[in-house]
Amino acid sequence: MSTIVATLATDRARRPRAALTALLAVAVAVGAPFYFAPFQVFQLTMVLVYAVALAGLNLLVGFGGQISLGHGAFFAAGAYTAAVMLDRYDTGHLATLPVAAAGCFLLGLGFGVPALRLRGLYLALVTLSFAVFLPPLLKRLEPVTGGSMGLTVDKLQPPAWSGLAEDQWMYFVALTVAAVALLLARNLLRSRAGRALLAVRDNESAAEVMGVRLSLHKTLAFAWSALFAGVSGCVYTWVIGYVSPDSFSFVLSITLLAGLVVGGLASLYGPLLGAAFVMYVPSWAQDISDAAPGVVFGLLIIVVMFVAPTGLAGLVGRLRSLAARRPTRTTPAPDRTPESAPDTDATSASESSAPPTPADPAPADAEPVGAPPRTEKE
Amino acid sequence: MSEPTTASAEAEASTEPDFLTASDLHAGYGQARVLQGLDFSVARGEVCAILGPNGAGKTTTLRALCGMVRGRGSVTLDGTQLLGRSPEQAARLGVAHVPEGRGTFNELTVEENLRIGAHLRTAHWRRGRAERAAVAADLERIYGYFPKLRQRSRQAAGSLSGGEQQMLAIGRALMLRPSLLLLDEPSLGLAPLVTRELFEIVRAVNEEERTTVIVVEQNAQLALDIAHRAHVLEAGRLVLSGPADRIREDGQVAEVYLGVSVRTGTGG
Amino acid sequence: MSTVTELLQQVVEGVGSGAVYASLALALVLIHRFTGIVNFAQGELAMISTYVAWQLVASGMSFWLALPVTLAVSFAGGMLIERLVIRPVQNAPELTMVIVTVGLFIFVNAMAGLIWSFTVKDFPQPFPDGGIDLAGVRVDWSTLGIIAVVAVVMGLLYLLFQHTSVGLVMRAVACNPASARLSGIRVGRVLMLGWGLAATVGAVSGVLVAPLLFLEPNMMGGVLIYAFAAATLGGFDSPVGAVVGGLLVGVAETLAGAYVDVIGADLKVGVPLVTILAVLLVRPQGLFGRAAVERA
Repeated sequence: MSTIVATLATDRARRPRAALTALLAVAVAVGAPFYFAPFQVFQLTMVLVYAVALAGLNLLVGFGGQISLGHGAFFAAGAYTAAVMLDRYDTGHLATLPVAAAGCFLLGLGFGVPALRLRGLYLALVTLSFAVFLPPLLKRLEPVTGGSMGLTVDKLQPPAWSGLAEDQWMYFVALTVAAVALLLARNLLRSRAGRALLAVRDNESAAEVMGVRLSLHKTLAFAWSALFAGVSGCVYTWVIGYVSPDSFSFVLSITLLAGLVVGGLASLYGPLLGAAFVMYVPSWAQDISDAAPGVVFGLLIIVVMFVAPTGLAGLVGRLRSLAARRPTRTTPAPDRTPESAPDTDATSASESSAPPTPADPAPADAEPVGAPPRTEKE
Repeated sequence: MSEPTTASAEAEASTEPDFLTASDLHAGYGQARVLQGLDFSVARGEVCAILGPNGAGKTTTLRALCGMVRGRGSVTLDGTQLLGRSPEQAARLGVAHVPEGRGTFNELTVEENLRIGAHLRTAHWRRGRAERAAVAADLERIYGYFPKLRQRSRQAAGSLSGGEQQMLAIGRALMLRPSLLLLDEPSLGLAPLVTRELFEIVRAVNEEERTTVIVVEQNAQLALDIAHRAHVLEAGRLVLSGPADRIREDGQVAEVYLGVSVRTGTGG
Repeated sequence: MSTVTELLQQVVEGVGSGAVYASLALALVLIHRFTGIVNFAQGELAMISTYVAWQLVASGMSFWLALPVTLAVSFAGGMLIERLVIRPVQNAPELTMVIVTVGLFIFVNAMAGLIWSFTVKDFPQPFPDGGIDLAGVRVDWSTLGIIAVVAVVMGLLYLLFQHTSVGLVMRAVACNPASARLSGIRVGRVLMLGWGLAATVGAVSGVLVAPLLFLEPNMMGGVLIYAFAAATLGGFDSPVGAVVGGLLVGVAETLAGAYVDVIGADLKVGVPLVTILAVLLVRPQGLFGRAAVERA
């Protein structure tokens, strides 16, 4: 009885508290560039840039259940789109964003249509091959891309009215783009298409029976995620002011996937955590050895998949729910072979409710991870 | 491998201790609890039919016996606890399960399928050598029961008809020289004539090899024709047990619990 | 040199590199048949095996003694990885398993860098210099050697799978693990064996390619892409397809590099991408794959 009362109480307390948390988060985000040194602000900016790419990858991997090992290539495509437009046509920074977004969306459709007619694994193969192919292609297209030397373009400059330093202005631009991207990702998932996507992930055959057009939704999810990566790459060019083929080797693609997995699949805030990993872990670990970032990332991915398939963000959610209610043990998954699929004789209904995705995914509208854990009053 | 040599096991079935005893057997999948505490027994050398409507838990019962689903309670086979064992361990104890949908190795030839059935006998590198002749003889024996399989011995199992695949699945199970043969819906998807033939062979196997058989069937008429004893399940509970003749004759009970009149069952 | 001999010359070179791709593709197909996934770490495992061979040779062992030792170590390593890394997620969704292999890829790559550093190492060429002249086409001993070694490996695998009881059991498990279990087969052990075999076959590709590429931790990244294309072309469930696909991709790569000016040496790595896309559009199950491709 007392638990029920407590639950009701926390439910009532939830809304204002969530609003307070959000306000606090905004205050911290806005205040940060005035508190930190320029280099640290630059690092935070890069976290936000990567977060956009990871939010896109998350749409695909976390919610779509498909793997891309070539998001670095879409990132590169966006970055180069911006650089070439600035370098050759002097279009101004803002104009490059929609072009990079649209271009990567179309590129995603182009690869998604053949790759996603079949099993998801082919998307991983196609995207990885693309990621390996892109750097030599960029080198070859020297007249346009500047070849191995790359292109140096103007960084984004703060307008006079703002009174901000360059790093601060870029931070706010990245913050805006990231905020829009995260909100867009959330709304995409709440849309009809997003719910279809989740249905596909949770049970493909059931979704198909319900009339969800699998390959269409998977391909669209992929195109959207390529768009996010392209936008992220575009802002990267604004911030760094330099692109070269070697910045976008397939290691970047692998690192992005690693960051997302560690940050948390299928969580709206996982991309932010993952982006922090992509940004900070290599630079810290590199002090130890060139190989250390790889060792850390590789081990973390495997460990995360073993113990917390929903990553850091999911882990927080799980710990919280563990504290809140009795632990829900994951039942041993049935074998993949038809004979041992649940008894048609008895439980065909229960079969469709078993999601084939990492156990216990964090709810799509989970609270910000940075939020203080709610205390349950008994 | 030690088959009972006592003569007329069938006649003594009532006095001999039960070969298989299940008590308070619970099993299910995840949250879905299918079996709600079954108590039943099967005597050595008899054919036991498990009947009941869709969703009664017949298949789950077999799967609990062979280790494909985890069960709670107790199931002893000749005094040995069966529950808590994996399917491969159950096979080592002489339990051969022919799953619903047959479970043939479609890319392997018919003969390879049968040889896989004898895997446990030949796997041991020293004893396996001695077993080889016996396995070859068993292969002939299986081909004797199922002449069609001999004709197709070099064909891929996937190219067989449904009936032939079911024969192959049973043949493979027999290659283990099981003490307990579990058949899950052998008639599923087969023509009545083929089913009839199959059941006759099961009866012959039981009579000649004295293999204890538990058969789960929708087609109650057919199953009761070859069974010595029958258990009727409904919603995960045992509602009726007895000699097959009694259950067959008790048309009213059968109609209530089996949903069909056994007298007008298909086949024949 | 006439155009025909030149073409034949290119084909011979292509078959040489194709044999290497075939070997790694075969490893991928083995894993796919046993575990149902694409093992992204396959190339890195081969790379580590190659380092083992290098270490043995560098410490004074002859190459032809170091090779069997390396293969034995790879076999044990593959079994260990199945048991320690793959088994815990065996019943998890495919996505989880694939991500684990990506993690393994990153980890193994970095570990090699940690142990042996990222500087390139010269790997000894096991075959003699020179070659033979066949109607104007020059065939290096090294090319012949690669083809011969890969052919021997394929032959041994064929014998294992088709003519031994262990091979029969392995095929049964690949075909239907649940039924295999019901026949008393210890599926876990067979899966370990499968991963061990795959690691061994992959190691062969690494050792063969190392003298041509120079040994460094990222050596197998490119080869892996070609092996993906080979397996896709041949069909991910067909060992024969992997071999044929490997040879075709090798020849296609060499010819494209030699005769298509736009491609040249630097863009050859686009060949696997185009191959994969073309196969997916035209014949998604691959040349030798079963018609019914799983839609999972």
